Amino acid sequence: MKKVKLLIVDDEENIRFLFKEELEEEGYEVDVASNGLDALEKIKNAVFDLVILDIKMPGMNGIQTLNEIKNMNKDLPVILCSAYGEFKQDFSSWASDGYVVKSADTKELKQTIKDILGIE
Amino acid sequence: MNLIDIFGKIIAISHSNLEIASRINAILNIIAQDMPFDEAIVYTLDTDKRLTCRYKNDKSALFHLLNEYRSHIGEGIVGSVAQKRMPQSFTNKDVPPRLGCLFYPDLDGFIEKYKAFSFLPLSDDSYLYGVLFVGSSGKERLNDSEKVFLSMVAREIGGILRSNQLIISSKKRISELATLSELGKILSSNAIPRDILNNIAFIIAKASNASFVTIRLAHSFLKLDSQRFTYGDFESTSGEDVIRLEEESKKRGKTVSPRDLAPEGYKNTVVTSLYSAPLTSKGRFLGTVTIGESQTVSGPTVEENGRYLIETIANYISSGLENTLLTTKLKDVVSELNNAQKRLLEQETFRNLGEMTANIAHEIKNPLVIIGGFTKRLAKKVRLDHTENKYVEIILKEVARLEAILDEILNYVKESPMVFKECKVSDFIDELVYLFTSDQAWEKIEITREYDNDVPSVPCDDQQIKQVLINILMNAHDATHGTGTITIQTGRKIINDRPFASISISDTGGGIDPAIIDNIFNPFFTTKEKGTGLGLAISNKIVLNHGGHIQINNIVDKGATFIVYLPLKNNIIREELI
Repeated sequence: MKKVKLLIVDDEENIRFLFKEELEEEGYEVDVASNGLDALEKIKNAVFDLVILDIKMPGMNGIQTLNEIKNMNKDLPVILCSAYGEFKQDFSSWASDGYVVKSADTKELKQTIKDILGIE
Repeated sequence: MNLIDIFGKIIAISHSNLEIASRINAILNIIAQDMPFDEAIVYTLDTDKRLTCRYKNDKSALFHLLNEYRSHIGEGIVGSVAQKRMPQSFTNKDVPPRLGCLFYPDLDGFIEKYKAFSFLPLSDDSYLYGVLFVGSSGKERLNDSEKVFLSMVAREIGGILRSNQLIISSKKRISELATLSELGKILSSNAIPRDILNNIAFIIAKASNASFVTIRLAHSFLKLDSQRFTYGDFESTSGEDVIRLEEESKKRGKTVSPRDLAPEGYKNTVVTSLYSAPLTSKGRFLGTVTIGESQTVSGPTVEENGRYLIETIANYISSGLENTLLTTKLKDVVSELNNAQKRLLEQETFRNLGEMTANIAHEIKNPLVIIGGFTKRLAKKVRLDHTENKYVEIILKEVARLEAILDEILNYVKESPMVFKECKVSDFIDELVYLFTSDQAWEKIEITREYDNDVPSVPCDDQQIKQVLINILMNAHDATHGTGTITIQTGRKIINDRPFASISISDTGGGIDPAIIDNIFNPFFTTKEKGTGLGLAISNKIVLNHGGHIQINNIVDKGATFIVYLPLKNNIIREELI
C-alpha cells in the first residue's frame, strides 16, 4: 500500500526533525520545508496527503502560506501547528483543516492527522 | 432786610457743610421769613422723570397736599416749568385751578388765599434738577428785583442739587466698583463653586442693602448638591414671588420686578423691593439672580437703584460665573484625565509587556517542545532501568508543566474575561487623544474629532476596546511617520437590520499596500521592524468577541480608514443570559 505523505513546514530545524521522526515512526512518509516559499515549491512538484504548517515564520507566515496552498489545491488538508493557543478557534475561518498547539507530547498532532485523513 | 443781605445768608448756607436737606430747608425758611413767602417748596426731578415735592419751609401748609401726587414733566404748572425751563409767575386771578394739575383735588379752597405764585426751574446749562415754588398771601405780585433774586436763589439751589447728585453718583459708582472688585476676587478665586456662589450672594446683599439675595442656576453645571445659593431668608416671606419672578426674567431675558408683572393701571401702585435678573453668557441662559428687601422700602430712588444695581451685577457675574464654573469643571476633568492617562500608560505598558511576554514565551516554547520531544524519543529507543526511567519521567513532567505555564501566557487575551459596561465611545476617544497628544512623538500629528452626538452608549469591555483603538491609532501614527492628520469619527449604522456604533480612524499615511491588506489581521503578520504581528490580530479578535467587526477602507497613496463596528444591542450578553 502506498504510504501517506506528509509535509512539515517549520522554521525551527529541530521541530522539523522531531515531528519527522515521530511521524515516520507512525508509518507516514515525511518531507520537510523550512519556510512558506520552500513549502509551496515542494507542493507544486510532489503530491502530499497533508501539510503541517507553523504559523510564525519569517517572510511568508503560516496563514499566508495556507492561503497559497489552498489556492493551488483546495483539497489538500492543512493542519496549523503553533506554540500559540490563542488563535485555535479561528483556524476554520482561515480555511485550515485543523489546529494543534505545539507540544512535546505529539499525541494530539497524531490524532488530528488521523481524524482528518480518516485513518482508524 | 434787603435782598443782598438775604442772598448773602443764602450763599453762606449753600456753601456750608450741612447735609443737603438741612441746607435747602434752611434756604427755603430764609425765603419764607425774609421775603416774606408763605410757601417755599422745592420739587426734585427723580430718575423716573417725575417731580417729587421734597423740601419745604417749616410753615408750609401746601407741602403735604402737593406731596400727594408726583407730576410728570409737562403736567401742571410745575411740570410745564420743568419742561420749558422757564420761570412762570401768577396772581390768584390768572393762576389755573389746582395749579393746572387735576391730581391736586385737595388744593381746592386752599390756594385762594394766596395772591402771588412763582415757579422757577432749578437747572444748569444741561440738566434740570427740580422746580422751586413760592407762594405769598401778602404780595399782590412780584416785582422785577424779586424775580431776579428768586432766579439767583433757584440757581443756587440747583447748584446744591447738582453737587449732591454728583456726590451720590460717584459714591454709588465707588461702591459699585468696590462690589464688582469683590465679586471679581471671588470669581477668580480657587474656592469650590458652592462657596463662590454663596459668597457672591453675600456680597450682592451687602452692596445693595438687601435682606436676601438668591442665585438659581438653570441646570447643574457641576456635581453641585443644589442649584440655589442664597444669602438671607426669602422662602418664609416671598418664596412664591421669587420663583414667579425668576421664571419671568428667564422668559423675558431681562430684569423684572413685580411691577412689570402687575396688570395695566395698577403698575404705579405696586411697590417694588424685589428684582430678578437673568444671568446669560454668550446667549446661553445660566440662571437668575434675585434681590429683595423684606421690609417694604418704597420710593422711586430706591427702586431705580435696585434695578440698576442688579443689572450691572448680573452682567458682570454672568460671564465670570460661567468661566469660574468651567474652570472648576476643567480642573476636575484635567485631574480625571491625568488619572486616566496614568491608567492608560499602565495599560499600554502592560499591553507591550503582554505582547513581549507572548513573544518570549513563543521563543521558549519551541526549544521546550524539542527537549521534551527528544527526551521521549530517547527513552523509547534506549533500554532504561527503573531509576533512569524515573529521571526521564521527571524531565517529561517538568516539560509538561512548563508548557502549561507558557500556554497560559500565550493565551493572554483569551484568558482575560470580558467585563461589559455601558460606555460612551467619545469619552474613551477623548481619553486616548489626550494621552497621545501629550506624547512628543505625536507633536506633528493633527488629530481631528467629529462626534455624532446621537450615538448612544455601547455595551463593551472598555479596557479591551481601548486596547483596540490604541492599536489602530498607533498604526495610524506609524503609517504617517509621525507627521500628518488622523481623523476620528463616531457614527451609527444599520448592518443587516442590526444597529451598530462605528468608530472610524483615518490617517494620511499613504494607505496599505493592496498586496498585504488581506493579511493584516493575521497573527504574526507585521511590516514593522520590531512588530510582533499580534496588535491587529488581537484587536480583531476583541472586536469579534464583542459581536462587531473591523472594516478597512484603503486608498492607496492617500491613507487608510479603520472602522470599528460595535453592536448597540449586545447579542453576546443576551445569548449568555439565555
